[in-house]
Amino acid sequence: MPGNEVIQGLGLDDYKYGFVTDSEPVFRTRPGLDAEIVEQISARKDEPEWMLKRRLKALRIYESKPMPKWGGDLSELEDTLRQTYFYVKPQEQMERSWDDVPENIKETFERLGIPEAERKILAGVGAQYDSEMVYHSLKEEWEAKGVIFDSIEDGLKNHPELFRKHFGTVIPAADNKFAALNSAVWSGGSFVYIPPGVELETPLQAYFRVNQERLGQFERTLIIAGEGSRAHYIEGCTAPVYSTDSFHSGVIEIIVNRDAYFRYTTIQNWSNNMYNLVTQRALVHQGAHMEWLDGNLGSKLTMKYPSCYLMGEGAHGEILSIAYAGDGQHQDTGGKVIHVAPHTSSSIVSKSISKGTGRSSYRGLCKVYDGATNARSNVECDALLINETSRTDTFPYIEIDEKSATVGHEATVSKIGAEQLFYLMSRGMDEAEAMALIVRGFIEPIAKELPLEYAVELNRLIEMEMEGSVG
Amino acid sequence: MSQVAAVRKPSRPVIGATAVAEAGATDPPWLRARRDEAWATYQATPMPSTRSEEWRYTDLSRKLQLDELVVAHGDRGPGAAAILPDALRRTMEQDRDSAARIVDIDGKVVSVELDESLARQGVVLASLRDAAREDDGDIRRLLATRAVPASDGKFPALNAALWNDGVYLRIPRGVRVERPVRLSRWVSRPGSATFTRIFIVAEEASQLSFVDEILSPDFETTTLVNTAVELFSYRGAQIQYVSLQRLGRGGFYLANQRTLAERDSTLDTLNVALGGSVGRVDLNASLLGPGAHSDMLGLYFGDADQHFDFNTSQDHVSPNAHSDLLYKGALDGSARGIFRGIIRVHEGAQGTDAYQTNRNLILSDDAIATSLPNLEIEADDVRCSHGATVGQLDAEALFYLMSRGLTRGKAERLVVLGFLGEVLARLPMGGVVEKVTNAIVAKLRGV
Repeated sequence: MPGNEVIQGLGLDDYKYGFVTDSEPVFRTRPGLDAEIVEQISARKDEPEWMLKRRLKALRIYESKPMPKWGGDLSELEDTLRQTYFYVKPQEQMERSWDDVPENIKETFERLGIPEAERKILAGVGAQYDSEMVYHSLKEEWEAKGVIFDSIEDGLKNHPELFRKHFGTVIPAADNKFAALNSAVWSGGSFVYIPPGVELETPLQAYFRVNQERLGQFERTLIIAGEGSRAHYIEGCTAPVYSTDSFHSGVIEIIVNRDAYFRYTTIQNWSNNMYNLVTQRALVHQGAHMEWLDGNLGSKLTMKYPSCYLMGEGAHGEILSIAYAGDGQHQDTGGKVIHVAPHTSSSIVSKSISKGTGRSSYRGLCKVYDGATNARSNVECDALLINETSRTDTFPYIEIDEKSATVGHEATVSKIGAEQLFYLMSRGMDEAEAMALIVRGFIEPIAKELPLEYAVELNRLIEMEMEGSVG
Repeated sequence: MSQVAAVRKPSRPVIGATAVAEAGATDPPWLRARRDEAWATYQATPMPSTRSEEWRYTDLSRKLQLDELVVAHGDRGPGAAAILPDALRRTMEQDRDSAARIVDIDGKVVSVELDESLARQGVVLASLRDAAREDDGDIRRLLATRAVPASDGKFPALNAALWNDGVYLRIPRGVRVERPVRLSRWVSRPGSATFTRIFIVAEEASQLSFVDEILSPDFETTTLVNTAVELFSYRGAQIQYVSLQRLGRGGFYLANQRTLAERDSTLDTLNVALGGSVGRVDLNASLLGPGAHSDMLGLYFGDADQHFDFNTSQDHVSPNAHSDLLYKGALDGSARGIFRGIIRVHEGAQGTDAYQTNRNLILSDDAIATSLPNLEIEADDVRCSHGATVGQLDAEALFYLMSRGLTRGKAERLVVLGFLGEVLARLPMGGVVEKVTNAIVAKLRGV
């Protein structure tokens, strides 16, 4: 099999974000997790009593649930967690201006291209460094229209009623072991409210950076999209390369109200020592439209299945998932669509590339409940294998309780075809060019959905890493 | 004829060590030891629960009370073959030509008929119990060791411990059996548990087709039929195995089938599920040599509260082998159909071609279809695809037929028959197509 060097030429394996910033946190809990640590986190955040109670209850749920036996290899995770810092506070307070962010932290984000992107094309930016949001800002025009884009802590502080009404309603603590863990120790993340009818023309972006070695990052995001609103939220993630494993477990709850449109894009590019176990779910109401665009390029093991619960008539859910698994990586990703109401529709498109000893698994669920008449769903998975040692799996679950539903699933697995290569080479390309063209063509249907024109960070990932130095 | 109705009060033991000892009473020592070992495995293996992935949709704790069952021992006398039950006789009459026939009643082989000329060519067809007693060496080596060993799970272990009788069929090298060999099975005793094994070896370049049909009356109480099917095709051989499951209501059909296809051999299976209350088939096709080929076909039609669960796997161990699975089902009433299939392409199995398709037609508001088509691929030079669909009757096809003057009912029947007929067309075997079509038509009268 030729072309290892070609794929390397695409740049997917070069990790450009592995640098460490020298910064002293202002506070961190001792390694490991118990009720005392949960109390410390809550006290640091000056939280109301009800939140502390919830956290402690979630901790008990977490402790009572067994480690999942499916998906990726979690056998070493318990050891990792015993040595993990569950809370590391990088600075005293969150800033509204980049100028006020401590120099070394600001530098980190500058190297990642965030402030530049903000100036150019973003409606708002949040930046999380270890356990806390260090920066959050929203352009004035959107603030004037009533848009809220805050750290999750400020959401709780400044909008207590709205917060309490929705927090934990989409993903309750008991949903799964890691949702319980997040509910106990969450810190950082965004609180977003788009008022009815408001259409954000440019995206909001949150950037997650882990700097501290052996950190557990537990961001929690709550998004409420009002009736008829439109918005796009982007999150990006990177971390330094350490010899020990780190842990990231986010919970993202989204409520898409009637006729609203919301798109959530993730470009996950954690370093290869990161466990990334995330629960993301959207409740999609009548006539509303939810899109998850999920790009998983980094991490050691990712287990992540963004889901759409189609609750109201005519709701639509879409999941576009792209995964790249290089040496030693396992991307266990996919999506879930749950059809509860009539005339709901959904589509999942998943593309994965496995290279070296990488393994990518598609895991998905399409469930149509009795009464969700005329529900329609289609799932397509394509996997590309580059080496003999690469591995791919497809585990779709299809559960249909409704007669009038129409559901389809298709998956293909292939390697780069000799015929395709031959054809392109007969047209005068050398092998490297031909390989690169085929790989690009393979991910194109999803890559074109990415907001190329927006964030610099995304541009880097797509243009440099996917296309690379061809020719 | 009403001999079958003359069911005696069951005096046989429940599932337990005594039953194992009784089943092995006339066995050679090696086989008794194997039964004991299997029984130990059975005891050490927990009952599958819905918490395990493979049994997620079939809740045994609600559908099967093993300790209430009485182990069938097929203790009727040698005259049994002469007094076959009417229903069995009728279906046997519908079989057109056969090369050989074996009849099994309540888990005991009562007659074996084999074409003279085949016997002369060295074809062996016998009751498995008798064959094991004489043992040609291969049985001892292969029975419940390589294909469906006790270590495979709770029920394979139970079968290996308790099997009472079954089929032994051996086709010598180069012999081609043109007409099907037929096994006709009948279960009569409500509340019984029947354990049967089918063991078929097709030697190099031989050819054979085998139809395993099972019938019973309706039962008031759950009645278990457990079958272990071990099929071996040696280099260049061809086997076609068809299972026609037509038990009455109350029947619980539980089968473990494994096909081992060696180099350049073809090992095709067709599982048809029409009867019983619960049907669960675990089928594994192992492609062991280059050029091996397995077509895996399935057809199910559930109505009322029937529950069919298929758990298939395609193991590509060797490079350059081919497997193609097509399971199609129609579900009416509050029936439930579950298909869980996996293609496993093992490391080094380059040049694999493996396909898997499951299609479901839902005919009523309360029917449920679940489909889990999985892939696990550890080689890069492969072509694999799988597809699954769940849908209702095609409105356009119905409209077209009705515009040609067919009533709605007739149009619907035609569309369903066309949908399921695709499976039968892939393995058209004498007698099978007609029987299955008739059974579907009978079921469709209710649609």
